[in-house]
Amino acid sequence: MSVQRSLNFLVVDDYSTMRRIVKNLLNELGYANVTEADDGATALPLLRSGSFDFLITDWNMPGMPGLELLKQVRADERLAKLPVLMLTAEAKREQIVEAAQAGVNGYVIKPFTAATLKEKIDKILSSQAAAA
Amino acid sequence: MSMSEPPQDIHVYADSLAAMSRALAARDEHAFRSALSAFDAVRDAEVLTGVRRVTVELQSALQRFEIDARLIDLAHHQVPDARRRLEHVLRLTNDAAHRTMDLVDQCGPLAQRIEQGAERLVAGGASASALGQFRTQVAECLGGIRSRLGDVRLAQSYQDLTGQIVRGVMSLVDELERALIELASIVDGKDAAARREQTMGRGRGPVVPGVSHGEVVSGQQDVDALLSDLGM
Repeated sequence: MSVQRSLNFLVVDDYSTMRRIVKNLLNELGYANVTEADDGATALPLLRSGSFDFLITDWNMPGMPGLELLKQVRADERLAKLPVLMLTAEAKREQIVEAAQAGVNGYVIKPFTAATLKEKIDKILSSQAAAA
Repeated sequence: MSMSEPPQDIHVYADSLAAMSRALAARDEHAFRSALSAFDAVRDAEVLTGVRRVTVELQSALQRFEIDARLIDLAHHQVPDARRRLEHVLRLTNDAAHRTMDLVDQCGPLAQRIEQGAERLVAGGASASALGQFRTQVAECLGGIRSRLGDVRLAQSYQDLTGQIVRGVMSLVDELERALIELASIVDGKDAAARREQTMGRGRGPVVPGVSHGEVVSGQQDVDALLSDLGM
């Protein structure tokens, strides 16, 4: 568990309030290392140059939207296995299917609860650990 | 309408012309004059139709001019104005959310101070002076929390302001819609309701009741069920 708590998170959302909410929730869950980016275009270079263990991204953002970011991450050899959680207000069934096909690891719909966020992160991390 | 345009149906004159030439050959003045009035009647009717058409066109041009003037005003003044109003709404909601979170963040350490004070009191044996000190500390911290809760409540007043601004923008959108529909119906005679669907890759934002179309999930449970159907 203590190993997990040192994970590096990248939170991507165009709204600073939403980034702050997610960051605070992560801090409360014991994840202290949280970096923020405001869209896919600023997130991608961070992901490529940094050593992130988990990506939480919104879908609807100016610049590069979250789905495109997810596709770029999966297409990048070094990032392909990065756990990605989509945290979004996008609620069309076809969109969720599209995100799943693009290789998302979890999908949380806004508005969300702290319990849901924790549950999905835990689930993704435990299935990562099982696969490793 | 062009003035050099030939009459659409010149054969309508054929009957009266034939009657006139027959009357001329027979030197029948009465028959000639009655064929000539028939010829004039056809001609009058045609001129009348032309005048009617010009009138309708003039009327629609005037109408369009009126709508154009309204649209120009909307495009030049009201739309940029609405954009600035909406930017202000964004600012207000953003500020209120941060203000609320700041206040909540400040309450955490205050509550923690009470907790630590109580622990110290238990550990150190509850002497009368320690109890008195703890009581002051609790009152101080609770006072701080209470005043911050009051500020949190106050921070929600953004809703009143943004509500008024958004309602103003809604009435502008209504007016713009009406002017555009009128213009479209003048141009093509039917309503042009073709709306461009946003491409899916961009995302569409939150579900808005009455606006969002298509199959939408009702909440997280629905998402989970869908993903588990997909084998996730």
